[in-house]
Amino acid sequence: MNFQVATMLSDILKSLFKRPITENYPYERRSTPDRLRGQLAWNPEKCTGCNLCSKDCPSNAIEVITIDRKAKRFVMEYHADRCTYCAQCVQNCRFDCLSLSHEHWELAALSKQPFNMYYGKAEDVQTHRKKLAESKMPKPDPVTA
Amino acid sequence: MLALEKFIVPIGPQHPALKEPGHFEFAVDGETVTSVNVRLGYVHRGIEKATEDRNWAQNLYLLERICGICSHTHALCYSLGVEALAEVTAPPRAQVIRSLVAELERVHSHFLWLGVAAHEGGFDTLFMYSWRDRETIMDVLEGLTGNRVNYSANVLGGVKFDVDEKQRAAIQRGVDYLEERTHHYYKVVTTDSTFIRRTRGVGTLTTAQAEHVGVIGPMARASGIARDVRVDAPYAAYNLFPVNVVVETAGDLEARFVVRLKELLESYRLIREMVDNLPPGDLTVRMPRKVKEGEAISRIEAPRGEAFYFIKSNGGEKPERVKVRTPSLCNFMSIIATAPGHQLADMPMILAGIDPCFSCNDR
Repeated sequence: MNFQVATMLSDILKSLFKRPITENYPYERRSTPDRLRGQLAWNPEKCTGCNLCSKDCPSNAIEVITIDRKAKRFVMEYHADRCTYCAQCVQNCRFDCLSLSHEHWELAALSKQPFNMYYGKAEDVQTHRKKLAESKMPKPDPVTA
Repeated sequence: MLALEKFIVPIGPQHPALKEPGHFEFAVDGETVTSVNVRLGYVHRGIEKATEDRNWAQNLYLLERICGICSHTHALCYSLGVEALAEVTAPPRAQVIRSLVAELERVHSHFLWLGVAAHEGGFDTLFMYSWRDRETIMDVLEGLTGNRVNYSANVLGGVKFDVDEKQRAAIQRGVDYLEERTHHYYKVVTTDSTFIRRTRGVGTLTTAQAEHVGVIGPMARASGIARDVRVDAPYAAYNLFPVNVVVETAGDLEARFVVRLKELLESYRLIREMVDNLPPGDLTVRMPRKVKEGEAISRIEAPRGEAFYFIKSNGGEKPERVKVRTPSLCNFMSIIATAPGHQLADMPMILAGIDPCFSCNDR
């Protein structure tokens, strides 16, 4: 048998004179591809509140809350921690309201709170959050009251 | 009396040689293995049952997450089955893109296997360099679909994205580089004397044995059985782009290396043909929310062999039953057939040779 060893030595020697293949993230960043699926973006202008996006969401990450359908006042509650970034919601939307950003993808956080995002007009979000806070308020204790 | 007792070496479920949990009992006589017992099911997540609680579109993403390596395989197999039930056919352009992503995934999976198998054989240089080169295909997939794994390329009734001129150039550049590297690795695994001593004549599965235990995929093709779903029952765009089945007859570990590396070259050819001959047209067709009552079987060639889906619908928005059988289950039997008579030190190599995917297998 033809005796051959160290058949990959040439690769190793070549690599000695090359820059490391690894990147020094986060100090060096390569640009992300245009199709990268990051944080969800929502355009409330065109939304009709049809809820097709949340119907097919595999992880229940989005809720569209209707404040006033006639006046087109909607709030979107987006749970980035549940999202699987599959873009089914983008596919489902008939009015092109949804997109996944390729710029905002570093979403790590130390607490759960930043993952709950509210999209919509500031006043609508405030109305929704107020209602939410009210519904979560503990009922007065019948004994002390 | 003592000499007649079997000495059993247990490996797993938690063991440094295993990347995923599985339990193996090797009965040994000195260093020689006399029999093997395999126990699986440690990563059972109840995915099949969970599908019954989600609608047809949601299940696509749940099933895609059965396996991180061959995620597109699962999504594609499920989509084809559901589309058959709903009597919907994806447009030709979508079919070709589905096959294109499947081939790109095969390339990344075979490169991954090459690295893992080399690592188990103690050839870590090959492991490091093949995984460095694998990044090329991961970048191509990321650019094409937006994700390195779990591409979510499929929707029911088509695909999500198109292949434009920029993607085409990136794919061709990546494939050109990988083809050159694959020829190099082919030379390494077939000429390096130290490595050949770990692969040639080790874990030999004869054609008769292979038929008997029912192995599939590259394992069967390394044992001289020309069995490939892409040829036997073409799906997606494989009737437009016929596959030349790679068959080796030796049946040992070296043949498994050769088959998978030659399959890579075949995949490059298919990828080039597909990106050059993309039919024009739409990417999706309309899919009903409720799928007609009935049963469907869908088979596709995953990187490890034939993946099989049985889907039953009762006419509603959710499936009544989804049964998944992945190729690893069929191939595990070959370990029991080939291991006896080998040294205990050969076991990691023999196990890695079948390219086991425990999480696919257990679901």
